[in-house]
Amino acid sequence: MPLLEVDALQVWYGDLQALYGVSLALDEGGVLALIGANGAGKSTLLAALCGLLEGRAAGAVRFDGRAALGRPAEALAREGIALVPEGRMLFPSLSVEENLLMGTLTRRRGPWTLARVYQLFPILEQFRGRPATALSGGQQQMVAVARALLSNPRLLLCDEISLGLAPLVVEQIYAALASIRAEGSGLAIVLVEQDVQRACGVADAVCCLLKGRATLQGRADDFDHAQIARAYFGH
Amino acid sequence: MDWLQTIVNGLMLGGLYGLFGLGLALVFGVMRVVNLAHGEFIVLAAYGGTTLAALLPGVSPLWWVLPVAVAAFGVGYALQALLVNRAVRSGDPLTPLMLTFGLAVVLRNLMVEVFGTNPQALDGGAFTRAGFDLWGLRIALFPLAVLALAAAMFFALQWLLSRTEWGRIVRATSDNFRIVRLMGVQPNHVYNTVMGLALAFAAVAGMLLALRTSFTPYSGVERLLVAFEVVILGGLGSFWGAFAGGMALGVAQLLGQKFDSNAGSLYSHLLFFVVLIVWPTGLARRGR
Repeated sequence: MPLLEVDALQVWYGDLQALYGVSLALDEGGVLALIGANGAGKSTLLAALCGLLEGRAAGAVRFDGRAALGRPAEALAREGIALVPEGRMLFPSLSVEENLLMGTLTRRRGPWTLARVYQLFPILEQFRGRPATALSGGQQQMVAVARALLSNPRLLLCDEISLGLAPLVVEQIYAALASIRAEGSGLAIVLVEQDVQRACGVADAVCCLLKGRATLQGRADDFDHAQIARAYFGH
Repeated sequence: MDWLQTIVNGLMLGGLYGLFGLGLALVFGVMRVVNLAHGEFIVLAAYGGTTLAALLPGVSPLWWVLPVAVAAFGVGYALQALLVNRAVRSGDPLTPLMLTFGLAVVLRNLMVEVFGTNPQALDGGAFTRAGFDLWGLRIALFPLAVLALAAAMFFALQWLLSRTEWGRIVRATSDNFRIVRLMGVQPNHVYNTVMGLALAFAAVAGMLLALRTSFTPYSGVERLLVAFEVVILGGLGSFWGAFAGGMALGVAQLLGQKFDSNAGSLYSHLLFFVVLIVWPTGLARRGR
């Protein structure tokens, strides 16, 4: 049984339909790249998965076999779904370490502790007492990833984690993701990414959305560049 | 020496004023809700004290501060859970404002109905009238204890917010109530406890008010005004600023009365007015 199943998911914001029956599945330990142009519905899909969806939805989302669609974000967080939100969304009133500790509130047990995330991102330990928003964009992104990991999730949703960051910093973040995978803890990851090549490079499976529909789905190495470009742009 | 005595008395009165503002500042700082019924809750707690004192006349009313504060926590929690959270959900900042305004009117008239309009006060016994001489100054014991208690409560709240997990959750919820849900936090539950705590602070202030002076159901309006001035003088969201603001108001009021015995609290309002013009963001944010 897959860890995450999305079945014919439709979402409306008022009269505007954002998703038209998207289905996908992700196994424990798998990495899915969710790609698509702006407004394709990627963030809507992530919001539906983590419980922050504000629109009306139909279809089904099952997490570990249980219905997840429409359940509140705080309940899903405690069951093991974590989101690295777009724009990082750190808490400006909190220090770096306090931001990280917010991740531990789900009280889930697992491999991730404060010491382990400091091992993953040593710079954060050095800056632990600083206000989170005083860090560089890349370091803030590390805080956001580490904060999500500290909830010891079974499913990690990453929304645009390379957006607006210098290439070298993106390299570091992706290296960290690779080492998280190598950990072998069964953590499944959904990567929403503008950089299609990079996303497909680390993912097992890919799903391309175009105007609310899945235009391409399958193993990441089954498609060539032209196929992905066609699915991405629709022509 | 006479003037120094007045300033010392003003500082001690200011401790109580600071306490009036503490709960208001907390609620505004965390959820951006202005509780216009804050003054009525202060007076309601005072009536809670006089009622308990009438039921059990043998016990010193000083003992009633804690139970009244605990009851006020429950009232605040329920108020937030049943009414204010719904009003906040509308997304319009005017809705909770209108709600608490209406609540203030209802509470005030309910208190008139139940307790009447005769001024009442709590007699705290010999302790509230005792004092001692220090370097030629006459220090009244009870106002000094009020000042110490106010300082302790400001310190405790600051400590709770900056050092504990609860405080971390409150600050994070205040920053972004949507994102904290991803960490398993229910924002409404956080708001309920914050309102409970705010009304517990208001209740302590109300009990101390009743031990210090007489009050009627209409006393809430004046206390709300003081609370507002304290919060704005201190700079919104700064608790130490609010404490200092309370002191400044207390000193200004007593110095004004000494200088001009008909002034009442005119000079403290004047001070507020001047500060608002000179440093519109409050004393604590002056430098930024």
